Amino acid sequence: MAQVKNRLTPFFENITFDRDDNELVLNFGPQHPSAHGQLRLMLHLQQEQIVKAHPDIGYLHRGMEKMAENMIYNEFMPTTDRMDYIASSSNNYGFALAVEKLIGLEVPRRAKVIRMMLLEINRLMSHLFWLATTALDIGAMTVFLYAFREREYLMDIIEGYCGARLTHAAIRIGGVPLDIQDSFLHQLRVFLNKLPQNIKDYEDLLDTNRIWLMRMEEVGTISTEMALSWGCTGPMLRASGVAWDIRKEEPYELYDEVEFDVPFSDKGDNFARYRIYMEEMRQSAKILYQCIEMYEKCEKDGQTELMAHAPKYISAPKIDIMTQNYSLMQHFVLVTQGMRPPVGEVYVPTESPKGELGFYINSQGGPYPYRLKLRAPSFWHTGILTDLLPGHYIPDVVSIIGTTNIVFGEVDR
Amino acid sequence: MAQHKVNYTQDGGLPVALTSIDKIVNWGRSNSLWAMTYGLACCGIEMMAAGASRYDFDRFGTIFRASPRQSDVMIVAGTLTKKHSEFIKRLYDQMTEPRWVISMGSCANTGGMFNTYATVQGVDRIIPVDLYLPGCAPRPETLQYGVMLLQKKIRANKAGNAQKAKRLM
Amino acid sequence: MRAYKSKDNVQAKAYYTDRFYVAPQVPKQDVDCDETFSSDLEAIKAKFEVKEAYVQVGQMVVYINAHDIYGVLELMRDELEYTQLSEMSAIDWLAKDNTFEIFYQMLSMTKRKRIRVKYFIENGQAVDSVEALFRSADWAEREMYDMFGIEANGHPFMKRILMPYDWQGHPLLKTYPLQGDEFAAWYEVDKIYGKEARDIIGPELRDTARVDRYDSERFSRLGFEVPKGTEITGEEEPHVESYQEEGGVFLVKKFDKESSKVIDDPQR
Repeated sequence: MAQVKNRLTPFFENITFDRDDNELVLNFGPQHPSAHGQLRLMLHLQQEQIVKAHPDIGYLHRGMEKMAENMIYNEFMPTTDRMDYIASSSNNYGFALAVEKLIGLEVPRRAKVIRMMLLEINRLMSHLFWLATTALDIGAMTVFLYAFREREYLMDIIEGYCGARLTHAAIRIGGVPLDIQDSFLHQLRVFLNKLPQNIKDYEDLLDTNRIWLMRMEEVGTISTEMALSWGCTGPMLRASGVAWDIRKEEPYELYDEVEFDVPFSDKGDNFARYRIYMEEMRQSAKILYQCIEMYEKCEKDGQTELMAHAPKYISAPKIDIMTQNYSLMQHFVLVTQGMRPPVGEVYVPTESPKGELGFYINSQGGPYPYRLKLRAPSFWHTGILTDLLPGHYIPDVVSIIGTTNIVFGEVDR
Repeated sequence: MAQHKVNYTQDGGLPVALTSIDKIVNWGRSNSLWAMTYGLACCGIEMMAAGASRYDFDRFGTIFRASPRQSDVMIVAGTLTKKHSEFIKRLYDQMTEPRWVISMGSCANTGGMFNTYATVQGVDRIIPVDLYLPGCAPRPETLQYGVMLLQKKIRANKAGNAQKAKRLM
Repeated sequence: MRAYKSKDNVQAKAYYTDRFYVAPQVPKQDVDCDETFSSDLEAIKAKFEVKEAYVQVGQMVVYINAHDIYGVLELMRDELEYTQLSEMSAIDWLAKDNTFEIFYQMLSMTKRKRIRVKYFIENGQAVDSVEALFRSADWAEREMYDMFGIEANGHPFMKRILMPYDWQGHPLLKTYPLQGDEFAAWYEVDKIYGKEARDIIGPELRDTARVDRYDSERFSRLGFEVPKGTEITGEEEPHVESYQEEGGVFLVKKFDKESSKVIDDPQR
């Protein structure tokens, strides 16, 4: 059969070329190698300088909030993986915590420790990935290769735990499904012992690198007012002079028992954000060492429970399901019909590697959420580009997008 | 004419290899598959991992290019949404022939878990696909195995003929 | 005759609910239980009408009148130190009483408190934009417009944000089906190839569980692969898909399993 031509019109038909104001319109994306996904920017240029930026998102909008309204709570868990797919356990955790707050569950201590380890490993993975991609965008290929090597070690650990490299679904509502494998602690310790040297290697490569400094220092400066007004959170806000870390200020899990510092900076530029990411990696390692100790203490104390005991909402352990009739019936109902949380609403923020990840759940007592709103940090970090980019030059766009650390799975949801 | 003992047609002779045009062209095509970075979502991260230090895609001659005009194979890694669908067609049209498409991951194959209003139910509704890689997300090993299968497919082609239209549209 | 299904909410519903099932409530506390919240509420009450206020899961929920929203948020930002608008969106109650519920999630970093400001609007009514107070409302209101069709008065750029500009329908309405309507189903085909291509490309296959081993166009049986379009008889020979042809490949070395090395510890 003959080839049928498509009917897509040339792309620039709706752009007037004979403008009065001598501005050039530059289309950036949605498929640009340094757009970190599917960001599309319409940039108005005066010479090399940007006078107006118009970020266009939605190229990865998959309708997650709609999916949530049509899924039972446990069914939605793997979908949250695909939000911030660099650190998927932190999304799992955010959702699990929101539902737990809604039904008022207390998670066993051992499960909490395992969750914290997963969260911090995810934070490390996310930051290493950030470092790798940003360095690559700016031209430092070596750092990309080094950071990916370290990230692979972490992925091995996670893979040993849950079987997946990227989309973990490792956390359940009410706890964690299984205990960590035997080699977990050993592998983690080996990694953590190497990490300070690795971070130092990256810093040696970057901190005094002239190109890196020129691309980073005094570029993309976000003032405190602007960051607050745009709803920035996480490293973006901390780089702009507000030491706000939800792990510290509104502690969840066992973060009030561990010791760690919240790095922050007053500069607000790209370089400040880079420094904060590096410092947070060190702090994550510090937390992980404490988690290992806590885990070993749990083991000594004989705390073996991994899932909360709440027969109305959470399935019994496998051994009970296999041996006790009532547990089997409960499990069957929970799997086929789903749990029915009480009527009410809850907004639960957690500190994901990117910033404040919030889940707003409105439950009407049915097995499906009536409304679920995902408050993804990257959405606002993309929005700020509207105000941030004007005044900068074209090459700065790449480094600014890099340091905002946006992931389009969660921008568009 | 000088007498010499070199047998040109044997190993160890002068660096001469006798072959057919088909084989030499396909050798060139299959071992320098420049891939277009079409990382759309989670699979794009695994695609990057495949290109990074541990998996090292360069061994296969696969180098990621940002421009469709320089690339031979488009690795569609991730969810294709309806808003984006127009661009994949545009970029596919810009690629020079011969061109191949690898659909990486469940979302690109069939829409995967995103059975919603906003997701294209498989990229093969828009562009022809040579290879489907299952998984959500497929491991880098899967992608490398897929590229090796694609090389096998290329080697089976006749080099001289123009590429046949791969689907009705 | 098919049973009638109401069209005002086409989302998934529980297929069985016990007749005597009474859903429990997430406990609501009085605002007096927390000093900061009660003083904040007093400050709001002094200037604006507060319909209802309570504390739920550690956060205060305040119901106000729709036209007060700009004033309330301004008061909260300037005097009560709620400097960040974390999130805002709507909830669709059209099936119940033809209203939307709008919520604004506020955060005070100095007091470490979160307040949810809410109000109801009628269907078709527009909200007041708070974009001048919080820049984050710029995109949040656009998203709300995109998803629910609720417009914001005074917003500088009221256009769709997540869906394409030429999209029809507002996806998060309860009347909008999960898998989209007719327009959504053919969107990409219509746009790229035109309506006449619908017959050639065919409808979307939405059945995720569909597997047909006799259909070699769309499915491939692992270990029994055949060329695309072959008629399947069920007597296919099992076959392993190797990545190199028998007899080697021109100028390419064959991978030798014997001489390769397996690394046990990745972090060696």
